[in-house]
Amino acid sequence: MLALKVIRYFSVHYLLFLWVFFSVPCYANFTENLRWSVDASARLNQNEALDNSSGIYALGLDTHKIFTSTSGDIGYGVGQLYFTKLSNYIPVPFLFTSKDDSEFIIREAHLNYTAGSNWIPNIRVGHFTLPFGLEESIDTNGRLLDYYHGKNLGTKLDWGFGLNKVVSQVEYSVSYTLGGKDKAKSVDGSYAISGRIGSLSHLNLVVGLSFFDGKIDNVVRKRLAFDWQYYWGTWGLLGELALGEDNNQSTGRQKEKYNLIELNKKLINSQFALYGQFIISDKENKKSADKLVNIGFSYQFNTQLEISMSGRKQLNNPPTGQKQQLLRVQMRIRY
Amino acid sequence: MKIRFMSLILIVILVGISGNVNAIAYCSLRDPVAQIAQLYPQKTNQLSIVKMVDDNTRTQVQLALPNNDLHFSELGQHTLYIAMLGQEALGYVHVRSEQSDWGLVEIVWAIDKNLRISNFVFQRCRSPQKKIAEESYFKTLFIGKNYQELKELLSEDGVTAKKKLLEKVHNAPELANVVLRCALKSLLLTKILWGEELEKL
Repeated sequence: MLALKVIRYFSVHYLLFLWVFFSVPCYANFTENLRWSVDASARLNQNEALDNSSGIYALGLDTHKIFTSTSGDIGYGVGQLYFTKLSNYIPVPFLFTSKDDSEFIIREAHLNYTAGSNWIPNIRVGHFTLPFGLEESIDTNGRLLDYYHGKNLGTKLDWGFGLNKVVSQVEYSVSYTLGGKDKAKSVDGSYAISGRIGSLSHLNLVVGLSFFDGKIDNVVRKRLAFDWQYYWGTWGLLGELALGEDNNQSTGRQKEKYNLIELNKKLINSQFALYGQFIISDKENKKSADKLVNIGFSYQFNTQLEISMSGRKQLNNPPTGQKQQLLRVQMRIRY
Repeated sequence: MKIRFMSLILIVILVGISGNVNAIAYCSLRDPVAQIAQLYPQKTNQLSIVKMVDDNTRTQVQLALPNNDLHFSELGQHTLYIAMLGQEALGYVHVRSEQSDWGLVEIVWAIDKNLRISNFVFQRCRSPQKKIAEESYFKTLFIGKNYQELKELLSEDGVTAKKKLLEKVHNAPELANVVLRCALKSLLLTKILWGEELEKL
């Protein structure tokens, strides 16, 4: 069973990707300028609304390789392959077939060509996070911290290509992807076009504008978003407002609004980070908007070990079912 | 299957806890192409060399600069960038982070081929004194100096600058201390880790 899953995931597309990845002309050995780490995590969830305890365990390899020639860098590649095991996890995520399933999952797997001259954009090919909103400058992969990228757009990562660059005081990233999510192909006419342009993401004040137009899982989504971040010492205040519409074959067309505000605080040595989020998610066809509060923290013991915890609570009474109430704890080791 | 997988996770976690701190560090340039061009406008490309900052490196820093340490995020694999004009090396770029009262300060150092500071910019700095530290009079206190010359500016406590430097930056003394410590560690690590390879260029 496990062997079949390995074969399935090392499909033609992934092998093609690896072939491209390894065959880029380099004068150096492949291991030169290669960063890698084994990444293991155990996440336990207590979902009060569903009265369910569950776990997700992941063990993977996280790699980053800079390709160079005698005249300099050509670009870099990122490859993240994880064996992921669910334990009584409901609702079952789309990558899995049952609540106790296990799968090999490709997270980020892309090449970014960076050798173009000053104005020529970098070219990214592979499986990558869609450039949109806060997630573009704050990577939440493998963390409890979440900016609801996947929920808002239909997927967090997708196969395709994109252009990106930092030009003077502006950075941008646009992509065309196939909308197949984990599959490197278009499924039932799926596609996704997304992009973000913003001020430099390492400054104390960051603003960005994003757009999204795509068809994923037979839902046509359009979004326009504004995101912002302001940092003062060890405090951070940030937000994202996304407006748009979903066109679903079963429920029809409906307007969507998503608004997130986060306040965070770090210790001066960055070992401890605390955040609180307030989220409003409003759909035209729903009687009332969902209002959620997320509070979480992470503590980095050393370069390898991090423990994080988060709690989510829904403030409004949903028309059907229980209020969302979720407690999560995660231990993560990178070695 | 479940038990075996859980055991594997547990073993990895236990090995991780008991092992040396040598995993990947995050400190690097957000966008090397653009940020190196800021320090070396004439560069046509950059060449990256990745090296491991481990416990041995940390000890060498502690011995050379008493009362100093490397932040845990500084351990792991780090990149030194060589700014290139065609096949010619123009100089080096090294990013390091230093703890301050305002959180971690990340400084991008331009270092010439004689291992002297030739310029620097802040990649991340939440201090209200940042604008002062970006002014040319502040920068010139560090630019052109090598490791020994900068070390002479360090007071006996090993972490603060001598009065003669602080008097010149009376409006940003804390940031001057941070910049000085970061410059010393950057030059020291450049020599320890990349020195041999840079001589071959």
